[in-house]
Parts: sequence; C-alpha cells; structure tokens
Amino acid sequence: MKSTKPLSRRTFLKGSALLSAGMALAACGPSAAPQAPAAEGGAQAPAPAPATTPDLPFEVAPEAINPLGLEPGKPVEGVFFEGGYGRAYIDHAADIFRALHPENEMSVAGIQRVGEQLRPRFIAGNPPDVIDNSGAGNLDTAALVAEGQLADLAPLMNAPALDTPGKTFAETLFPGSQADGVYDGKQLVLNIAYTVYGIWNSSTLLEEKGWEYPTTWSGMLDLCETIKSAGMNPWTYQGKYPSYMVFGVLVPLIYKIGGLQAIIDIDNLEDGAWEKDEVVQAVTLMAELARNDYIMPGTEGLTHTEAQAEWLKGNAVFLPCGTWLENEMRDLTPEGFNMVVHPVPTVEGGKGSFEAIYASSGESYFVPSQAKNVVGGMEFLRCLLSKESAKFFAQNVSSIMPVIGGTEGIEVSSGMRSALDAVEAAGDEIFNYRFGTWYRDLSNEVRDRTGDLLTNRITPEEFIESVQKKADEVKADPDIKKYTRTS
Amino acid sequence: MYRNKYRLIIPFLFPSVLLYVVFVMYPYLRAMYISFTRWRGLTPNPEFVGLENFARMLQDELFWNALQHNVIYLLTLPIVTISLGLFLAFLLTQGVRFAKFYRVTFFFPQVMSVVAIGVLWSFVYHPTMGILNSLLMLVGVQEPPVWLGNPDTALGAVGAVVVWQSVGFYMVLFIAGMESIPNTFYEAAVIDGATRWHLFWHITLPLLWDTVRTALVFLAIGAVDMFAIVQTMTEGGPSRATDVLATYLYETAFLGSKFGYATAIAVSMFLMVLTLSVVLMRVTARESLEY
Repeated sequence: MKSTKPLSRRTFLKGSALLSAGMALAACGPSAAPQAPAAEGGAQAPAPAPATTPDLPFEVAPEAINPLGLEPGKPVEGVFFEGGYGRAYIDHAADIFRALHPENEMSVAGIQRVGEQLRPRFIAGNPPDVIDNSGAGNLDTAALVAEGQLADLAPLMNAPALDTPGKTFAETLFPGSQADGVYDGKQLVLNIAYTVYGIWNSSTLLEEKGWEYPTTWSGMLDLCETIKSAGMNPWTYQGKYPSYMVFGVLVPLIYKIGGLQAIIDIDNLEDGAWEKDEVVQAVTLMAELARNDYIMPGTEGLTHTEAQAEWLKGNAVFLPCGTWLENEMRDLTPEGFNMVVHPVPTVEGGKGSFEAIYASSGESYFVPSQAKNVVGGMEFLRCLLSKESAKFFAQNVSSIMPVIGGTEGIEVSSGMRSALDAVEAAGDEIFNYRFGTWYRDLSNEVRDRTGDLLTNRITPEEFIESVQKKADEVKADPDIKKYTRTS
Repeated sequence: MYRNKYRLIIPFLFPSVLLYVVFVMYPYLRAMYISFTRWRGLTPNPEFVGLENFARMLQDELFWNALQHNVIYLLTLPIVTISLGLFLAFLLTQGVRFAKFYRVTFFFPQVMSVVAIGVLWSFVYHPTMGILNSLLMLVGVQEPPVWLGNPDTALGAVGAVVVWQSVGFYMVLFIAGMESIPNTFYEAAVIDGATRWHLFWHITLPLLWDTVRTALVFLAIGAVDMFAIVQTMTEGGPSRATDVLATYLYETAFLGSKFGYATAIAVSMFLMVLTLSVVLMRVTARESLEY
C-alpha cells in the first residue's frame, strides 16, 4: 500500500479542481466597504449647459446635453459582450459619449463569457457601470433581478433623447420593443438589437426554380414535397441547438393556430397550457417536417454555423434563424444569394395571420445598482440608443436598433430589407414569448424534446407529455421566481 | 539531534502547509458550507438551508441521468483502456519492428490539449464532411450514423475519444513496467514450454500488478470527471444523452445560477471519487512480488 498516500492526495487535488470554481468566487468575499448608493438622476442639479456645442455630427439641444446630471470627472466603465455584432458600434457610441462629456473618461472592454468574468465582481460589490450581458455564458438576468442587482432605468427613460429634439428617450424607441426588460413594472434592462425571427431562404433560388414562398403550412408541406422530388433537401436547422426550431418554427406555429393567448398561457405556466389542442396541433405540424424526411440528413449533428453553411451551399432550401444570420455568415455568403426572411406560414382556421411575425429585442444592456457611476452607465445607454448610433449599427452590422428613424436614408442589405418589410406588414401582430428567459429549465426541456421530435425519436404526444410535466415541475418549484404577463 | 531536525523541518514545511491550507483546505471547507445554502452566486451572503440541496439531488432526474453516464464510463473506460494498453505494450515489447515509432505515435494524443482533441474529433464525426462517415460511405454504408447527433451513439462516440487519447499513455507506462521484469523469468518459462499467452498471464501481469492498479485508479477518477471532452464535443447533448455530473454541475452553476445546489453536486462528486479510490485500492491490493 505504499502508493496510497500520493494517490489520495491526487484524488484530493482532482476534486479540488472541480470545486474550486465556486470556491474561488466565495473567497473573494465582501472586500469592498459598502458604497454609498450612487446618486440617482436628478439627485444633483444638472450641470449648466456648456457654451460651446459638442463636437458631434448632429445638433444637441442644451437640455439634452446632460439631463441626468453626470458628475464631471467621474469615469465610466463599460464591459461589453463582443460577439456577432463586433465592437465597432460600441466604440462609436463611446466616441459620442466622449465628445459629449470630454471631462469623463469612458472605458470600453469587449469580452466573451460575460457571466464567468463579471460574477466575481458582483459578489465583491464592484460591478462595472454598464454591461452588455449577451452571448453564451452570460449572467442569468432573472437571478440578477431577484437579487436586486439591477438599477431602475426610469430616469433614463424620462430624460430628453440625444438627437431627437422634443422627445424623451423612451419615446424614441420602437413601441413595445423594451417590454422584455420590464420586471415588476420597472425598466431594468434595455435590449439594443431588434431581431426579427422567421424562415430564411435565398430569393434567387426560389425565383430560379419558380417556387413561391407558401402562406399556409399545408402549402409549405406541399412545396417541401416538390423540393424533395427535385432532388433537394427542403429544410435544415442548427442541429446541435434545436432551440432555433423552437423560436423559429414551434412558437410561431403556436401563435398562428392559437393566437397570443396560447403563448401567454404557456408563459404564465397555466395548468395544461401545453396540452391544449392548438399547441398539440402546432407540435404535430412541426413534426411533419421530420416524419416526411424533409430535413437534410445529418442535420442533427451540425453546429449552428455548420448548418448555416450547408444552407448557403444550397444543400437545403429553408432555415430558421434571426436577423443576426446575415452578419454572422457574411464571409460565406455566395454572391447573389439574396437571403430573405419570411414569417412562418399560417394554418387554416388559425387565429394568427400569415403576416404575424416573431420579433423581439436582444443584446441586453443594463446598469448594476451597485455600480460606482450609475448615472454614467445610463448616460452611455442614452448615447448608444441614439439615432446616430442606430444608423451606424444598421450600416455596419446590418442589424436594427429599436430606434425610430434609425434606418433613415441608408442603403440596407437584402436580409435587413426583408425583415423591415416583414415588420411593417405585420403591423400590430408582432409577438414574442417569455418562458425562454423566465424559466431556463422549461426552455431546456422544450429544446431537448424538439431535438428528439425532429429526429423521429419521440411522437408529438410524448413531446406534449414531457414538456407539460416539466412546466408543472417549474410551477411547483419554490426556488424559481415566477413572472406573469398579460399582453 | 532531534531538536535540530525539527528546527530545520518546520521552517521548510511551513510555507507549503500554509499554501495547502489556504488554497486547498479552505476552499474545501467553504464548499461544504456552500452546499448547505441556497445561493445564486451574485451576492456575498448565501442563505443557509441545511440538507435541502442534497434532498433535492435525490429527486433530480437530471442528476441521476448524468450520474448514470458517469457510471457507464466508469464500468467501461478503465477496462477497455487498460486492456488495450496492455495488449499494445505486450506486442511492442516482443521485438516488433519500428517499435519506437509506434510508441511515439500511440503516445502522441497524450500531449495534445483535451479541447483540441474534442474539436478534432468533432470534425472526424461530422455527419457529411467527417472522415469517419466518408470512409463508411466509401465501403458502402448508405446512411452512416450521425455519431454526435444521435443519443444512441453519442455516449460511445465520446468514450471512444477518451480511450484513443489515454491508451498511449498507459501503454508507455506498462512498457516501462514490463522492461524492468528480468528476462531470466521468461527464459526459464520458455524452456519449460510456456506459450506467449502463459508468459503474459503468469509472469507479466502479476509482476505488473502495481502499475495496473495505479492505472485503474487514475482512469476511474477520470471517468467521474469527463468535463472537458464532453463540454467541447456535445455540451451534454443531444437531449442530455452525454450529460455527466461535471457538465450538469457547470450548467447548474454558471447558466442556471444555482450555486448552492451545484456545489452540493460537487461535494457529492468529491465523496464519490474519494470512496471509489479507497475501495479500488483495497480491492485490488495484493502482496508485492519481489524480484
């Protein structure tokens, strides 16, 4: 037994490596002395407007220069997720901020895996002043809200907009676009990218083959049959991440059949919400894609970019995604591909029209309530969601900021054009769903079972049964904070 | 003399003991405490809830699902890896040509990072462009499996990568052990008419036993972990078919913000590894043979 000792030490170290993640954080402790709550907007009289106009390409009304009362000389620290949209647009907004407030230093750090990097700073009570909490491995917003870690953005919402004279900041944003960031009546999160979700195809390919995008789901299934007999694969999706089919097809189908109320019931965890006929029908109709072999073989083994690349190569006709697709695949998109997005087809007798589309705001920004410079964080957001910044965003990353007039007078790409048209056509039939952010366990269950359904491993009945069971579990779990919506 | 000895030992030992206490013992004790709390990992003050997390674990299907995969790995990976390692080592010590070349080749995966291996093998398993399915189609398989996309094959596909990665290391370890066995034993046995099989079974394996059981314990500990390879290849999917305790723990803590519960899983893993090592060492203990 002479080797026991070193071995058990090794065991010890091995276990320690697994545990250390959590522990390293715990060890940080509350080192910083509790800070005086940062001044709320208006707690201090706004500084008198400087005599000279800031060095900006647009006019700023005197009352819009520093409405929140940013303290001169107090630095602002921004930590931002740097993902599909890159960081140029963040730097651009920071430049606006710097021109507006030359006496305040504004720092910009672009990172990945926001959660792992910023969690220790939240525990230590020393978070940055403004955060882009997006991408894989981000912080759990619901948990932050439950811990009271997010600042109420009311002062910002009511402040004058930067470059739209006579309007408040809130009035310059797309109506309803910030509903996702409201928790218990308070605006805690701002989503700065307006995303339209739907089914993508190459308009060039459809024209070439003389196929027309169907307005009904049965028309879709017929077209799939035609495509299949033409020797092509009708569909692919981001196989390893079946959630693309959840927001791309399943939820829209539920809306098209059952209307908004069906989705609200699901979000509110109403008893038996998943067992309703409308929902069962939607699940069954989605499963038709797999049952009839309309999905490209091998799809389930592909990552999102791999599946999207197959689609760009013409190995499949339809793909579910959001408007980030165009920018994400820019380097691989063949000349003349002309990608466009369409709403999910409707169903005969359904409550939702063909034009109804799922759109929501993503790329969430917030200001921590414990930040050293809460006002500075909000002031940066005022610069970021300005018309000027929105135009830059549209031009450089082909995506939409939910700012009214943000695409005025600029040339837009095919995908973005189709998304803007789709939103216009939808009118007030723009819907969203919330269980994805509210209840991660339920969301994961729907994702996994969707993967099973689309590879013919389970039936629609089994799907409904196990998702309803998970919804009941979430409802009964006292550890999970519950939310409700009425519209 | 003794007093002098301690005067020398204590100052030398103190810094390492201190480091050990601060960086190993304290985190452990702290983890034990956190596993008894409800904590989202966003504030400095966890709320004490006693054994609630452990009770919850017993009823958590996803926990049992992950544990089941660890157990499958535990029952298969060490045996497959050690058998293959022994087999290759025995072959390469029998005077095969280019033995040195094979040794380096087989050992090579060991020097690569696990993440690189995960990415590499994800390409090998790629359903349409991957080398594996391309080969299968070449030999006439019409619809080769989607290895990492199918719950029935994903667990085995990931396990195979782990075997591929570690078998070379254990082969080299066993070769070192075999080479230290005096040749006279074999000569004597051969004169008595022993076959190669006899030589392996009655001389090599008994004299190599200490090395084999060390390998067994290491591999068993590895099978309880598996985090890096699963996370890079499948993230526990599809439909949690490859979820192991470590990936479930990671998801629970960093994506689900249940740090208290995740730490309880970590503590249970620690206890499992500890028990497993002790039991394995006891069960496999035999008298050392001297030569």
